[in-house]
Amino acid sequence: MSFRDQIDFIRQHMKKNKLRVFMTVLAATMGCAFLIVLASVGFGLHKTMTDEMMSNQLLTEVRIFGREDGDSQITTADQQKMSELENVKAVVSRSYVDGVTSISMNDRTGQGDVQLTNLKEEEKANLALSEGEMPTKPNEIVIGYHFAQKLLTEAETELASQSEDEIPTGYTESMIGKTISLELTPLTEEKSDPKVWDFVVTGVAKEPAKDWMMDLRVLIDESYRTEFQEFTQPEVPAEESYFEVYVYADDIQHVGAITDTLKNDGYNVYSITEEMETMDLFFTALKAGLLFVGTIAVLISSIGIFNTMTISVTERTREIGVMKAIGANPKLIQRLFLIESTWIGVLGTIIAVTLSYGISYLANWIIPEIVMNIVAEEGMEDISVTISLIPWQLVAIASFISIGVAMISGWRPARKATKIDVIQALRQEL
Amino acid sequence: MIQIRDLCHTFSIGKRGKEKRVPVLKNVSLEIEKGQIVSIVGKSGSGKSTLLHVLAGFMKPESGSIQVANQETALLSESEHAAFRLNHFGFIFQNFQLMPGLTAFENIELPLKLKGVPKKERQINVEALVKKVGITQVADHYPNELSGGQQQRVSIARALVTNSPIILADEPTGSLDSETEQEILLLIQSLNESLGLTFVIITHDDEVANIAHRKYRLHDGALVNGGVLHVV
Repeated sequence: MSFRDQIDFIRQHMKKNKLRVFMTVLAATMGCAFLIVLASVGFGLHKTMTDEMMSNQLLTEVRIFGREDGDSQITTADQQKMSELENVKAVVSRSYVDGVTSISMNDRTGQGDVQLTNLKEEEKANLALSEGEMPTKPNEIVIGYHFAQKLLTEAETELASQSEDEIPTGYTESMIGKTISLELTPLTEEKSDPKVWDFVVTGVAKEPAKDWMMDLRVLIDESYRTEFQEFTQPEVPAEESYFEVYVYADDIQHVGAITDTLKNDGYNVYSITEEMETMDLFFTALKAGLLFVGTIAVLISSIGIFNTMTISVTERTREIGVMKAIGANPKLIQRLFLIESTWIGVLGTIIAVTLSYGISYLANWIIPEIVMNIVAEEGMEDISVTISLIPWQLVAIASFISIGVAMISGWRPARKATKIDVIQALRQEL
Repeated sequence: MIQIRDLCHTFSIGKRGKEKRVPVLKNVSLEIEKGQIVSIVGKSGSGKSTLLHVLAGFMKPESGSIQVANQETALLSESEHAAFRLNHFGFIFQNFQLMPGLTAFENIELPLKLKGVPKKERQINVEALVKKVGITQVADHYPNELSGGQQQRVSIARALVTNSPIILADEPTGSLDSETEQEILLLIQSLNESLGLTFVIITHDDEVANIAHRKYRLHDGALVNGGVLHVV
């Protein structure tokens, strides 16, 4: 019997028992949809957490806090070695100024996050500018996107201190080409006079990805490190000053290997991949658990398929007997019933997948709205929450389980059909 | 065409452990030649239906040999027997045994589907047979919309459709009135003459048995007088 004829034969039979087949398909659909939707929550939350981590930190960044022995500092030679590692794009060392800093521009003053860094390496490490260009001379600097907003006149400072509602706009014009003065006062017990350095702003960093992030950085070339330290801490040799080193990989997939190499070399290292590995492990376990619970639902629905197929075999005993009598191979009879149960599984799975995508869409639309309304905290609107996510892998797993269970459910009734005794079957009354 | 030698079969009757063994076929030996109509007659319980079932391969005999078209069939597996039936036997049953969900045309077509014959060829063959057995007007009717005679004609057409050389008929007119019985018997005779088919008819009705070229009588599982009762 050709496959097409087999399908026609099954379709004819299914048409005769529309209601029963519909109810069985419904049970298979519900089981499979439950499995997909349940597991999709695991996938959705995993995505939300990953996105949140990825948006807060550069994924290709590996932070080095020093050596594991705690004594020795990271030297320039160490940095050179790091930059020679395979797949390393840039090595940036950043340090903060030991002393009280105040920045002024004409009649405006403000506070910034003054960092000494290698601007060429920063550029390689993806320091993107929203305006201007990267410095070419030591006295040229890059400022953070929000820095100009914190440069206030005396009147604005007073206004801000009087009322919390009044937020001064700061300097609103372009900072490119403007000269700012950095006043540095050493942190010593005796009162000492401040010293002033002038810098020209050549670039403004790009706006941070998150609305709640404020970028107040003032990135000064690291060649000033010695000069600043000699002024603020003349007793400490410049090479012993503390700084953090950031290694940037050329691609996220190399971060793990670079992290391992640096760890083996005896550095205290942190990278997002480490945190993500732990998180991935947790979510993998969660997803496996949800799939397991969902599979139980599929198994329950399989009872329906088993029942339907058993009734179908019993009802069609005489027909099966006639088919066997006129020459149908028992394997063909078995195949017909297996195809029927598989078809129920396939139909249920197709409807379940479609339904699950609908439910997932609704869940992602409605639940975050409800949660946001309940929590109603400032800045929350910036967080994108994915409650349910159905990747193709989940569809593949769920389909495999659902169709597989449907086939297994049909197996015993199909075997029973092949065992039907022709003589007994032909004796059955119509 | 068919040679049966020393065929024996026993049924076990009663509860497990206390079964009683009842012999239903006792050393039955007979020969059926190609193109003959052979009838096997006997009272209820004489073993005639069992003989047909064993010959068709619906059950395995306890001992003895059955040769059909020079092939020993008693030793075939279930699957092999199914394939053998499809190619060598056509069946006519007392209760017609048509598929209730299929039309007359589809019922006749079914064995061809089992054989994997292409649709176009099936259509031509079935249409020809529908004409031959005289059910053109009701070919698209379902069995419950047909009279007994029409159903038996469908059943005969189904038996013929695969060009099987042997037709096994179990009480082919048992459910029909006498007028229709005559029509069916005439049809069987004409098919035998025109197509040279071999018919093995199991019946308790002498009128039916009398159309046969050879008549065997079974009594308590054994052939009366050890063989042919009547030769036309």
